[in-house]
Amino acid sequence: MMDYILTTNALTKKFGSYKASNEVSIHVQRGDIYGLIGRNGAGKTTLMKMIGGLTHPTSGSFEITGKNGEKTEKMMPKVGILIEAPGLYPNMTAMQNLKTKAIALGIKDESYLQGLLKEVGLENTGKKKAKQFSLGMKQRLGIAMALVNQPELLILDEPINGLDPQGIAEMRQILHHLCNDRGITILISSHILDELSKVATRYGIIHEGKLLEEASKEELFARCSERLELKTNDITKTLEVLNSMGFSKIEVKDDTINIYERLNEGGQITVALAKENIMTNEIALKSDALEDYYFQLTGGQSND
Amino acid sequence: MINLIKMNLYRMMNATSTKVLAIVSALFGLMQFGILKLIADDPFNIMGSMASEMGFDSVTASTLVSNFLRSSNFLIIVAVFVVLFANAEQKCGFDKNIIGITKHRWLHPLSRFIAAVIGVTALMAITGIIGIGCSALFVNAFTFGSATAFVKTLGLTYLGTVALAGVFFFFTTAFRSAAGGVVPSLVICTGILYMIEQLLDLLVKKVAGSPKLLPTDLFLDAKFLNFNMDSGMTACLILAAVCVGYLVFSVGGSMLLTQKRDVK
Repeated sequence: MMDYILTTNALTKKFGSYKASNEVSIHVQRGDIYGLIGRNGAGKTTLMKMIGGLTHPTSGSFEITGKNGEKTEKMMPKVGILIEAPGLYPNMTAMQNLKTKAIALGIKDESYLQGLLKEVGLENTGKKKAKQFSLGMKQRLGIAMALVNQPELLILDEPINGLDPQGIAEMRQILHHLCNDRGITILISSHILDELSKVATRYGIIHEGKLLEEASKEELFARCSERLELKTNDITKTLEVLNSMGFSKIEVKDDTINIYERLNEGGQITVALAKENIMTNEIALKSDALEDYYFQLTGGQSND
Repeated sequence: MINLIKMNLYRMMNATSTKVLAIVSALFGLMQFGILKLIADDPFNIMGSMASEMGFDSVTASTLVSNFLRSSNFLIIVAVFVVLFANAEQKCGFDKNIIGITKHRWLHPLSRFIAAVIGVTALMAITGIIGIGCSALFVNAFTFGSATAFVKTLGLTYLGTVALAGVFFFFTTAFRSAAGGVVPSLVICTGILYMIEQLLDLLVKKVAGSPKLLPTDLFLDAKFLNFNMDSGMTACLILAAVCVGYLVFSVGGSMLLTQKRDVK
């Protein structure tokens, strides 16, 4: 049985007649870095706000470590959130900001807070006020704030947005450290698919408030990876031929058969089909980037 | 709850606005003392008979409380403090860090208001100790007067100020902005609302003759700022009841709004 730390059940949020989140059901396994992919306004933030307890769902529910209803509320202290911009007092130092949240939670150990600052690389900020921090530093402090309550699940909304390449690399390092070394499950959203693909182990693709697809990294990359695209005049017979040839990683989409293995055997396939009087209309080696796959799925267009 | 109050007090102690307003309160106390000294003692005889006309022949502790702390000017300091304090968490988004992990959201505005009341008490103490203390020490006409009158005036002034702080707090919570909190609060403090209330009084009198209850009887600002502290116990109890009523509705309203609304 899967060990889900978070599952949402048809979670819906309506603003007037507009459904910002439309019956979204995601499944986050313990230890995952779950990437929520979606363009701006797709409903990622709304979904995260509902899970983070900032927004009341219109309908649906969610479970944390299998606890639902009132029991979910008891599990909320195990959730850390960084949604949109980090909520920091600009006139306070990094330590004072952490201390403010720590006081609210009854945490008195300053060395613990110092440790958090070290974890996100802000141990040497001293008396520098948060308003003087760079965007990357603010984001890292935001993560440290989310870690104060020792969460099992960390919700990060667009944490790499606006960061320079070095900032992005540092953030990636922090995320890997939190997941691998501290065992924190992370739900992270971004519209920078390339970056997300470097950290996430499981994905949910969300578009216009709806969850279009949920897949593991392997599954998603298999869908995006190189394949032979085959178009013939008889799909049923073609599949029989391919089966007889021992192909198993096959997917049929509309009038196209996608073959994900033995990609150098295009010639043999054509000959085998010809022997069975099947006409090959088109056979080509194709590959998608994650971005292309996303656009294909959402019916959008790439900016390229 | 206690931890939330502690958190709010911690950030209050670290906020620049608190320090600035503490200084403003001290200066206000000094300024009030200076004016009183000039009028009551009149060492250069520049005020003529003004002192006795203004009732400063004998200055008692209760008249000082009434003049220094139950004034529109001091209320402006209170309003600015409460609005800035109440709005800070919403403005910087800090409440996103903690509201989701607290079982009852309404604890947040309640704890914030309790901390704000502690802050208002501190501001009153600063103005009071400096202004009233200096006056007691250096104004020749000062006599302590009746202890009962002092306690009654101080108690009602404190209750009225806290109730108005509750109203300012509610505006800030409801409008989710400093401007949304400051504008109506200043309308109250500067007496603009009182003018409107008086107009309403006139209208009501014109329509209904001489009704027992007038709009000014229902508004806290009119009731509090124009209250005669020499009034009898019944009038004092009515004012206290109005203050408590406003306090309950404004703080309760803030709690309800926070509980029901989404965090932006």
